[in-house]
Amino acid sequence: MAGYLGRTLVQLVATLVGIVTVAFFLMRAIPGDPALYMLGDFATEEAVAALRSRLGLDLPVYQQYLVFMERALTGDLGRSVVTGQPALAEMLSALPWSLSLAVAGLAVAVILGVPLGILSAIKQGTWVDMTIMLVALMGISFPVFWVGLVAVLFLSHHAGLFPALGAATGGGFWTQIHHLTLPALVLGLSVAAYIARLTRSAMLEVLGQDYIRVAHAMGVPEPRIFFRLALRNAFIPILAVIGVTFAWALGNAILVEVVFSRPGLGSTVLKAVLARDYQLVQAGVLVLATGVVLINATLNVLYGVIDPRMRSD
Amino acid sequence: MQRSSPPSSDPSAAKAGPRGPVLELRDLVTRFPGDDGPLSIVDGVSLSVASGETLAVVGESGSGKTMTFLSAIGLIPPPGRVTSGQVLLEGTDLLTHTPEQLRAVRGERISMVFQDPLTGLNPVFTIGEQIVEVLRAHRKLSRAEARKKAIELLERVQIPDPGRRVDDYPHQLSGGMRQRVLIAMAISLDPSVLIADEPTTALDVTVQAQVLELLAELREESGMAMVLITHDLGLVARHADRVAVMYAGRVVEQGSAKAVFEQTAHPYTLSLFRGVPSLDTDTAQDLIEIEGQPPDPAFLPPGCAFEPRCFLGQGRASCQATRPGLQPTLGTEHQTACLHSAELTATRARA
Repeated sequence: MAGYLGRTLVQLVATLVGIVTVAFFLMRAIPGDPALYMLGDFATEEAVAALRSRLGLDLPVYQQYLVFMERALTGDLGRSVVTGQPALAEMLSALPWSLSLAVAGLAVAVILGVPLGILSAIKQGTWVDMTIMLVALMGISFPVFWVGLVAVLFLSHHAGLFPALGAATGGGFWTQIHHLTLPALVLGLSVAAYIARLTRSAMLEVLGQDYIRVAHAMGVPEPRIFFRLALRNAFIPILAVIGVTFAWALGNAILVEVVFSRPGLGSTVLKAVLARDYQLVQAGVLVLATGVVLINATLNVLYGVIDPRMRSD
Repeated sequence: MQRSSPPSSDPSAAKAGPRGPVLELRDLVTRFPGDDGPLSIVDGVSLSVASGETLAVVGESGSGKTMTFLSAIGLIPPPGRVTSGQVLLEGTDLLTHTPEQLRAVRGERISMVFQDPLTGLNPVFTIGEQIVEVLRAHRKLSRAEARKKAIELLERVQIPDPGRRVDDYPHQLSGGMRQRVLIAMAISLDPSVLIADEPTTALDVTVQAQVLELLAELREESGMAMVLITHDLGLVARHADRVAVMYAGRVVEQGSAKAVFEQTAHPYTLSLFRGVPSLDTDTAQDLIEIEGQPPDPAFLPPGCAFEPRCFLGQGRASCQATRPGLQPTLGTEHQTACLHSAELTATRARA
């Protein structure tokens, strides 16, 4: 198990360095000059040159990279060229909003998707199964922003159950949860549909295995077979998808954040890219990537917990 | 002081006395839907096995051996269905049981070991957890008690160092060890009947003998009845008291192992024997495989199902016209479903 954890940790660090490097060079590859952007269209060439040298933009790219990496190791990702605030701090302050949305969305997805998928598999071929799968197919087919608009229209505008906009940034815990519910539902529903379909096929595959027949032949009650013996096996592929969808949820959070006018990583990064705010974009990429990589590392550890075959070297 | 007369439960007396069947199948029919109406995969099978006895059920793959016993314990895969007959376990008909009653019987009074030990154990639970699952499905035991019982069971199936092995996962065990674990699960509640479905087919030859020996010992110790489903006639000769030969969903010959071996009364059985290489075979002539394939249940011949492959009846009008039922031969409990079995006996007499 120690070797397994060690491998996971090494992978984690290597992945982060790789992602930050790619993000650094990609940003430099996009046309546009932050100095020009900051000083406006009527700046003199001297002023632009002075600012470029102050920001270190006059150095060759590989030197910029070395300077960036050296500072990054000490946790200094520079300051936002637009607001002058430390870039990392700005991103980290946006993180909780996105994280809570992604986690809540994923929770909705798992809480709805897994039981529906199991039910569908147990009742395979019946009207229960067909209804669930039809609804799931619809859930996958509709784009998130459309579901978001429909949800706002019915649940918020007509029924008045949830606020349509904002995140209650200054509000108390329950007010914020109240504001989070609708975006989380919207984000979670399409993932729930996906997870339901996946759970169903994973369960069906497991239920056809010899060891399930053995359990039946030994008189193990069906609930124990479904929810313990079969589910732990079926959960291995489900876990993989939860990992992938978490990254997806963080990414799609941008759309949901825009629809619901919520603060978050997505909207902050979007603004930064448009302003060629290199430092802020890099900080955003680093924070997002760290989040995704950490989730994957956690999942890797969970695989090891669920599947003993993963642990043995 | 004189000892009083022994109580009636003296085990040796019970063993010696006449034993009724523990498990008796009567006219069992299992059907699967086919394109042109239902197909009888199990077609009127009657069999019985007494406690302490091993019944070998023999036949090529597809002859309905496994389906017969899956039907008996209510595990026929859908859309298959048992349509008629009786499955008497110690006198009560399992086919009248509710699914929950049937579940309670499985593992407790009638148990089954399957062919492939590599896929028979759940990969994400320790073998101890899996045995405990079976024990706790039938008995109110604490976790600690169940675990202790699991270790005892592993010891009983001769797994070395059971106290440590109990926490192993299946992938840490060899095929032979895994089959022992599955046997431990199957006998964990002292069933009256153990059905072993090709228990050694997937194992190495050296391990096969050990596993069979273990099964024989366990049967001896517990006095349970054993059904050994196999296509290996070598096993039958060594382990079976009685033999039932199946072809196309029917029993075509049954009787004591001695009678079936020495006075084979069905040409199909004789063909199976000829497929077995043996040391005292003088000529290669005796090693003929049975030509052709077992019949597709959707296209059974109207007469005897074996007629198209039979060295005795191929092309004979009588065989093509009537499907023979099981008849006693020479007034014994040895039965055969062949119109011309007398000719087989005659051939042997001349030889």
